[in-house]
Amino acid sequence: MTATTGAAPPVAARRGAFRILPAIELAVLALLLVVPFLLADRPELITLLTNVVILSLLALSFDLCWGFSGIMSFGQALFFGVAGYGVALVGRDLEFSQLWATLPLAMLAGGALAALLAAFLLLGRKAPTSIFVAFGTLTGAYAAERLVAGWQYVGAGNGLSAIKLMAFGEYEFVEGLDFYAVALTALVLVYAASRTLVRSQLGLVLAGIRQNEERLAFFGYRVQVFKAVVFSLAGMVAGLSGALYGYHQGFTGPSNLGPGLSTTAVIYCLFGGSGTLIGPVLGTVAIEVLSYVLADIDAIRQFWPVLLGVVLLVVVTFQPTGLLGLAVSARERIGTYGARKAAR
Amino acid sequence: MEFAVKFGFDMLAFISVMVLIVLGLGVIASMMGIFNFAHGELVLLGAYTVYLSDKAGLGTWPGLIAAPVVVGLVGFGLERTIIRRFYRTPIIAMLGTYAIGLIIREIVRGLLGGHYKSIPEPVGGAFSLGGVEFSVWRSIIIATTLVVIGGTYLLLARSSIGLRVRGALENPMLARACGISTSRLYALTFTFGAALAGLAGALIVPLYQLSADIGIRFLVQAFLSVMLGGVGSFEGPVLGAAAVGGLAAWLPWVVTPVLADPLVFLIALAIVRVRPQGFIAVGRL
Repeated sequence: MTATTGAAPPVAARRGAFRILPAIELAVLALLLVVPFLLADRPELITLLTNVVILSLLALSFDLCWGFSGIMSFGQALFFGVAGYGVALVGRDLEFSQLWATLPLAMLAGGALAALLAAFLLLGRKAPTSIFVAFGTLTGAYAAERLVAGWQYVGAGNGLSAIKLMAFGEYEFVEGLDFYAVALTALVLVYAASRTLVRSQLGLVLAGIRQNEERLAFFGYRVQVFKAVVFSLAGMVAGLSGALYGYHQGFTGPSNLGPGLSTTAVIYCLFGGSGTLIGPVLGTVAIEVLSYVLADIDAIRQFWPVLLGVVLLVVVTFQPTGLLGLAVSARERIGTYGARKAAR
Repeated sequence: MEFAVKFGFDMLAFISVMVLIVLGLGVIASMMGIFNFAHGELVLLGAYTVYLSDKAGLGTWPGLIAAPVVVGLVGFGLERTIIRRFYRTPIIAMLGTYAIGLIIREIVRGLLGGHYKSIPEPVGGAFSLGGVEFSVWRSIIIATTLVVIGGTYLLLARSSIGLRVRGALENPMLARACGISTSRLYALTFTFGAALAGLAGALIVPLYQLSADIGIRFLVQAFLSVMLGGVGSFEGPVLGAAAVGGLAAWLPWVVTPVLADPLVFLIALAIVRVRPQGFIAVGRL
């Protein structure tokens, strides 16, 4: 009892204090809900927005790995791409694209693949170094891209185009507001689930692992198993994202599962602010919108990837907490965990 | 028999290329504990230097000689401005070097306009020995590699700089207390590693087509070699490079080439997974 009351004062003291993160989260949600209606007569902007929402999921999945469990994954696109190829092949060979089945299946595929990779890279008698894991994921993505680019059945270097439209019953989703609604629903659901996850007891263990992996291992936590679980969950999210992306673009190619797209996800997340959930979403929105606006200027379009590299370098060197770090204090970014209601 | 000799020769040339690339990466990793994810792009930069000199009408030789110098200077500049901030945080270093690699790769891609360029061998043709034809250029690559390995070994084992390097590797703090400037040594090491990458890039570009994406392939193979061989020793990365290079040259004869590369990665990763300390585990050098 004394322990609970001992923990109570800081919570009570903070109650009523204005917190920035929830405000930002609400603002972004409101924006994502309202903006499409303002843009209803600009279909190309709706398409852009749908892409942003779908890619936010990919950035979120990277954040779950790096920001919340300290796994540097240069291979998130691997799960993204495999899910994209999955829905394309199911559409082509089975002529089936009901979203209630294909989206969960894509998540399952991404998650299973991530679990396999995690079992290989993370689990085992000897704990791997973080460099090895980072490099392993990079190699996985690179090898997959090479493999797919040389495999005729999946269209080799040309990829698969004219993916069967995502459907629900008789209704087919083309680019536009209804597809956007599906994507946004997916993002909100995944976001809510992640929010619960990272503030749960599991999230607390993950925070401990980030702080001091050895100590947590000493306490008896099987650190690598925790990491593998989160990595698999992140794989599921990436899979969902990849399936939606495939349906939305109507195309999937080898570059969708290579290190290039994986790096883009890294940049989205770090630019927005890793270690928070809204950070990757903000980063994706900022970078994709900037890219769209600047694409009209020839000189910038050609060297846009260079600019992205510079952004990554600057963020890593000078502003590791990203855009959000400018507005949100470290205390709020780290936050509190577990049973807050009990403490009250 | 003739086929076996020729095959062995090609394999040796390929291994030499790998050793050249890996040596630079291994030296930096052992010395400073930093895995340089931009190493593949330093190789690319070396290759690009040769392309530039060839395009300017000077032929390939000036580029070949300039490449190690140019890339070494680039490496020096990078170390002084950026890399030195990362010594305390190896994981952030990985991200930072990756970003540097990305920048270099995309600049070169922009300059090349996304095309593949082929560059002629500075010395073409073949010579015949015992009835078997050998490519002159590949022989030069093998010879250069041998010289570089020998030179690096002598530098590390026999010279006074090498003594300081080994001292700083063993115990950086004690080395600093003895008046050895580790900061200067690190800059030197990084420059040296970068110059080796530049040389490797210049030597191999006639064998491969120049495109912005060659870097990542060599990065992956070189990384595997260093991990396979073990960080911290001189022989380790060289042995690892021999293993990876040999595997990469031999496997395409056994399985379809599409599968060969991923298979090499898988085998090497599996070995590293089982034996994380690498072939040669002597702590740090």
